[in-house]
Amino acid sequence: MAAITGVIPRPTSYAGIWGWMTTVDHKRIAVLYGVTAFIFMLIAGVEAGVIRLQLASADSDLIGPGRFNQMFTMHATTMVFMVIMPLGVSFFNFVIPLAIGARDVAFPRLNALSFWLFLFGGILMHVSFLVDQVPDAGWFSYANLTEKPFSMNRGLDYWAISLLVMGSASVAGGLNFVVTIINLRAPGMSMMRMPVFVWMTLITSILLVLAFPVITVGLIELVMDRNFGTHFFIPSEGGDPVLWQHLFWVFGHPEVYILILPPMGIVSEVLPTFSRKPLFGYPFVIFSGIVIGIMGWAVWSHHMFTVGLGPVANSVFTITTMLIAVPTGVKIFNWIGTLWRGSIEFTTSMMFALGFVALFIVGGLSGVSHAVSPSDFQQQDTYYIVAHIHYVLFGGSIFGIFAGIYYWWPKITGKMLNETLGRLNFWLMFIGMNLTFFPMHYLGLNGMPRRIYTYSAEFGWEHLNQLASVGYVVLFVSFLIFILNVLQTRNSRKVSHDPWDAPGIEWSIASPPPPYNFAELPEVEGRDHYWILKDRAEAAGTPITEPEALVDESTIHMPSPSYWPILIAAGVALIGGGLLSHYALSFVGGAIAMMGAVGWSNEPPAAPSEHH
Amino acid sequence: MGLPPFRRAGSLPMQPSSKSNQPTGRRSSLKNRSVLFGLMAALFLFAVGCTKDGQSTWEAFGPVAQKQLDLFNVILWVMVAVFILVEGVLVYAIVRYRRRPGDAKPPQIHGNNTLEITLTIIPTILVLALGIWSVFALFEIDKPPEDGPAPLQVTVTGHQWWFEFEYPDAGNGKKIITANEMRIPVDRPIQISLESDDVIHSFWVPKLAGKLDMVPTHINKMWFQADSDKITDDLPVTLYGQCAELCGLAHALMRFRVTVMEQDDFDSWVAAYGPPPTNTAKAKQGAQIFAHHCTLCHTIDGPDDPALSASRLTGFLTGGDITPVPAPNLTDLRTRNTLAAGIVDLNETTLRQWLHNPEDVKPGNYMSERAVLYQDGPANLPDEAIDALIGYLLDLR
Repeated sequence: MAAITGVIPRPTSYAGIWGWMTTVDHKRIAVLYGVTAFIFMLIAGVEAGVIRLQLASADSDLIGPGRFNQMFTMHATTMVFMVIMPLGVSFFNFVIPLAIGARDVAFPRLNALSFWLFLFGGILMHVSFLVDQVPDAGWFSYANLTEKPFSMNRGLDYWAISLLVMGSASVAGGLNFVVTIINLRAPGMSMMRMPVFVWMTLITSILLVLAFPVITVGLIELVMDRNFGTHFFIPSEGGDPVLWQHLFWVFGHPEVYILILPPMGIVSEVLPTFSRKPLFGYPFVIFSGIVIGIMGWAVWSHHMFTVGLGPVANSVFTITTMLIAVPTGVKIFNWIGTLWRGSIEFTTSMMFALGFVALFIVGGLSGVSHAVSPSDFQQQDTYYIVAHIHYVLFGGSIFGIFAGIYYWWPKITGKMLNETLGRLNFWLMFIGMNLTFFPMHYLGLNGMPRRIYTYSAEFGWEHLNQLASVGYVVLFVSFLIFILNVLQTRNSRKVSHDPWDAPGIEWSIASPPPPYNFAELPEVEGRDHYWILKDRAEAAGTPITEPEALVDESTIHMPSPSYWPILIAAGVALIGGGLLSHYALSFVGGAIAMMGAVGWSNEPPAAPSEHH
Repeated sequence: MGLPPFRRAGSLPMQPSSKSNQPTGRRSSLKNRSVLFGLMAALFLFAVGCTKDGQSTWEAFGPVAQKQLDLFNVILWVMVAVFILVEGVLVYAIVRYRRRPGDAKPPQIHGNNTLEITLTIIPTILVLALGIWSVFALFEIDKPPEDGPAPLQVTVTGHQWWFEFEYPDAGNGKKIITANEMRIPVDRPIQISLESDDVIHSFWVPKLAGKLDMVPTHINKMWFQADSDKITDDLPVTLYGQCAELCGLAHALMRFRVTVMEQDDFDSWVAAYGPPPTNTAKAKQGAQIFAHHCTLCHTIDGPDDPALSASRLTGFLTGGDITPVPAPNLTDLRTRNTLAAGIVDLNETTLRQWLHNPEDVKPGNYMSERAVLYQDGPANLPDEAIDALIGYLLDLR
C-alpha cells in the first residue's frame, strides 16, 4: 500500500540510469529532450533519404506507393512533432531558468512528466513500423482519406493516439514555461529586460497552450470516427471533411510559429554576442514576435485557398497573410541592424545564425508569393510549397537550432565543439540544403505535385529531382560530421565559463552549471546584464575571469527526484497502447496513471535525508 | 504587364554548361564567391524552370492561367528585387563588419525608431498593394465574362483514382459521360462543377487554370478557356492534368488529359459518341465477354444510368471482397488516346497488358482488387477472349 499512497521516500540517487529516469533537473531534462529528438531526427532523415532515392529517377518502382506514402507521412510528422518542437523545448529547458536567474522551472515534476509523455508518445508512433501499420495520409492527414473504408489498417489510429499523448506533453510543457517566465524571474529582470530568447519562449509557450487543444479536439473526433462509429468527418453520413481542415490548420498555422519562434529567439541571442553589439531594436523584435503570435491565428485558411471557400474568404486570408510578412520583415531588418557596424566573429554558431537569416529570407519571400491566392492556385500542393517549407523549417528552424547547439554546448557540457568540424558541418549543410530544396521551387512551378511517388519522364522533372537527391547526400554527410564533432568532444579541452564573452547571465556561472544554477540569485540591472557587470569590472580594473563561486549544495534547497512522472507517463502511454491493441491494457494504463497521480500528490517535498 | 514573360526563356539550354557555373571574381572572399555561384545556379535553374513542359505553369493557354501567371510574374520580380536588396545588405554587412585583429569594441547602438517605423511602413504598403491587387484578380477570374459566348457545362467527378467527365448538354441536348480525357472546344468558356464520390481530390490543368479541390458533398465551381491566339500549335492540342491532393495509394497515377479542339471537331466527337459497333463475329464475341465480366462496374452503352451509379458507389463504400465499384465509362474508349487515368498510351499492347493484369500497369487500382476476374492475380481468361475484348473495345477491324 505504501507505494500506492505514495508515502514512500523520494529517490535520492542522482547517479546512473535511475538518476536520469527520476530526474527533475531542468538541465538533465534538456539533455533528455535533445538526445531523444536527435535520434528521431536521424530516423526522419533516413525516411527523407528513401523519398529522395525513390524520386531520383522517373518511373522508378524502387518502393511502391504504399511505402512512399508512409515515408513522407512519418518524415513530416516526426520532424514537426518529434524533432523541431522538442529541440526547441530542449533549449527552453536548458536556457530559460539560467537566463532568467532561476533555480529550476516552476513545476519540475511536471517538466519531467512532459518529457516522458513525449518520449512514450514518440515510441508509440514508431511501434507502427514494428506492426507494419504505418500512418500514410500525410502529416496533415486530411479527412476523409483517414476514414474507413479508405484507411483500413491501424496506421491512422497510431498517428492520432500518439499525437494525443505527445500533445498533452506540449500543453503541460507550455504551461510550465509560461508560469516559469512570469513568476520565477530574478529580481530586476523586468519583462523588457528579458533576453529575446526568453520572450520568444513565452510567446511560443502561450501558442502551445492555446493551439494544442484545437488539434486535440480534431484528433479525438478522428479516433471516435474510426473506432466508435461517430461521423464527424464522413461525408456520406452527414459529416464534413472540410471541418477537419479548419481544425487542423487553426492548430497548424500557430504550430508553424511554434516551430520558428524559438530559433528566431536563439538567433537573436547569437547575433549580438558575435557582433559584440546589443540587439538592434529590442522592443521592435519583441513586439513583432507578439504580433506574429497573435496574427498567426488569423491566417490558417491560406493553407486552404483551393478548398473552394470562395473569393470572399480567400480575399480575407490573402490580406491577413500578406500582413504577417511585415513583422517577420521587421525581425530580419533588426538582425541586419545588429550586424551593422558590429565586430562580427565567424564562429560556427554565428555562421549558422547568419545562414538562418539568409535562408529564412528566401522562405519568407516565397511565402509572400503564395499568400497571393490567385497565384497560389497554381502553387498549392506542388513542390514549390515543399521548397518553401524547407527553407523556413530547415533553413530556418534547423539552422537556428544548430546555432543554438554550437552556442550553448560549452555551457551544457563545459567542453567545446570543434570549430573546424563545425565550419565543415555548416558549409556542407548550407550547400546541401540549397542543392536539395532550391530546385524544388522550379519543379513546383513546372507542375510537379507533392506527395507523388513516381512521375513520368515526359514532364521534364527528372534532372532537378536528381540534383535534389544529390543535395540529400551532402546533407547526410553534414549530419555525420556533426555526430563526429559531438563524439570528439570527449577528448576536447575544458573551456572557461564564458567562452564567447556573452551578454546573458547564464554565462556568469560555471560550465556545466551546478544543479542549483545560481548560488546567489542575481540582481539584474538591465538588458544584457552580464555585459554590464563585465564592463563595470573592466572599468574598475578587475576583469571578471572566474564564474560565480560554487557553494555547498546541501545548503541550497532543490527539488528531489521523483518516481512519479515516468510512471504516470507510462500509464498514459499504455492507455493509448491499449486503444491500439487490447482495451484491457487501457484500464491497466489508467490504473497506473491514477496510482501515479495519487503518489505524486502525496509525495513529500524532499528526500528524508535532506533537512530543508 | 510590361515585364518580360519568363516562358520565353524556354529556349535556353537544358543542361548546365560548365562555363556558366564558373564563379568569377578572383579576389572576392569565399562568401562572395559562393553567392555568385548561387546566383549562377539560380539563373541556370530559371532556364530549366521556364520550359514549356507538359504541366509547366510558365505557359498559359487561357485567360485564367494567364492572369495567374501575370500575377506571379510581378510577385516574382518584386521578390527577386527584395531578395537582391536584403541579401545584398546582409552580405555587405557580413563582409564589411567582420572582426579584424585589434578591433575595438563597436559602438553600442540600441536601435533607431525612425528607421524602424519607416521600414515597417514601406513593406506594409508593398504587401497591402500586392494583397489588394490579388483580391481584384481573385474576383476577376472567379466567373467567366458575362458578355462572352455561352459556357459549356462540364461536371467533373473525382474517383479513386480517375476522373469522370459529364457533359449534361454537349451539343443538341446530347448527354455524354466519359473518363480521363476531357475534350473542349477552343475559344469557349468551360464552366466546371467539381464533385467527388469518395475522398478529396484536386482538379488541375496548369496551362488552363490553377487547381480547385473536389470535396465530397461540396460542389466547387471554376471555369477556364483555351484561347486559339495563345496556342501556337495546330489544333487539336492535348494538355496535361493531374490530381493535386493526396487521395490514397494511386494518387500519383491519377492523371488526365484535356484536348482542345475546333468546335467542328468537338461536334463530330459528340455525334460519334456511342457504344462500339458489333458488326463482326469477333466484336460480337467481345461484347458477350464484356457483358459477362465487366458490366457490373463499366458502362459501355452511353451515359451511366444514375441509379446504377448510385448502387456501384454504395458497393464501393460498404467494401467487401467482390462488390461493384464506380468505374470509367467505356462508351468512347476507342476514341481515347490513353489508358488507366492518363498514365499510358492506349493501344493493343497496353490494353492487353491491362486486361491481363491491371496491377502491373497501375498499382493499387480497384479493378484488380474487386473484380472476380482478378481475384487470384492475372485474369483467368484465354488469350482469344482477351483478343476479342480488345477488338470490341477498340473497334478493330
